[in-house]
Amino acid sequence: MPIRLIAAYFLMITGSAFAIVTVLGLLRFPDVYTRIHAGAVVLTISAVLVTMGTAIYVWDFFLSAKIILIGIFFLFSNPMATHAIARASYKREIALPKEYEIDAYSDYLGRDV
Amino acid sequence: MLQKFSAFIFLLIVWFIFAGRITVDVLIIGSAASLLVTLFFSDMLFREVHRKLPWYHYLRKLALLLLFIPVFFYEAITAALKVSKHVFEKNPSFNPGIVKVKTELTDITGLSLLANLITLTPGTLTLDYDRSESAYYIHWIDVETVEEAEMKKKIIARFERWVGVIFR
Repeated sequence: MPIRLIAAYFLMITGSAFAIVTVLGLLRFPDVYTRIHAGAVVLTISAVLVTMGTAIYVWDFFLSAKIILIGIFFLFSNPMATHAIARASYKREIALPKEYEIDAYSDYLGRDV
Repeated sequence: MLQKFSAFIFLLIVWFIFAGRITVDVLIIGSAASLLVTLFFSDMLFREVHRKLPWYHYLRKLALLLLFIPVFFYEAITAALKVSKHVFEKNPSFNPGIVKVKTELTDITGLSLLANLITLTPGTLTLDYDRSESAYYIHWIDVETVEEAEMKKKIIARFERWVGVIFR
């Protein structure tokens, strides 16, 4: 087995392991915001590792460039979606963090939670 | 003019990559589509430069941008391992909270890029930016300290210097 395929399989298996960790985190963490943190792992690390592994696996200039563009698109779209979900659920009072000790954002919005 | 030209070239390269081959028909359709997008949306892709810098400054910025990619992935992987450690505890024991961190950047592209980088790193999540105090509101999965300088060092100082040098 050539060393290129070993590197590709290593990257893909590491990415899949992080994806499994993310699913466990989504099930186990207590509230919305901490679950969003668990979801950020899959979109940042796991998707990028799997796309890099696939780009090494196919080893063709145009196909690899296309797959890497898809990975870059993940890196652009993930923080916007994450930020929008978290901010909307705080500002629209969908899921307020009631039991937090440190909450500077409620002072900024002028609320006393 | 330079703005529109660079946007056109960038879109054409992306079109060639998605088409998968370089032939005349792809070139004709691609330049028509790129021209249409460039006419309407070119000011969204590249900004006009207000200050003229010598050319080697831009080369240095490009080199720093390429050097920044492995640094970012190293930080992201260590942060992801920290978050994954919490998953395998018997009772997930951490202390989430929302903290306020001041920043020294002023450039609007640098500010939005820094907010995106903070959100991309697992464990921290930008909720809002206060323009009057120039401070981010960051949700942190495990608040380790409430000292302002310590907080800044742990969350944003590792990216702020890079972004401050690249977008200035």
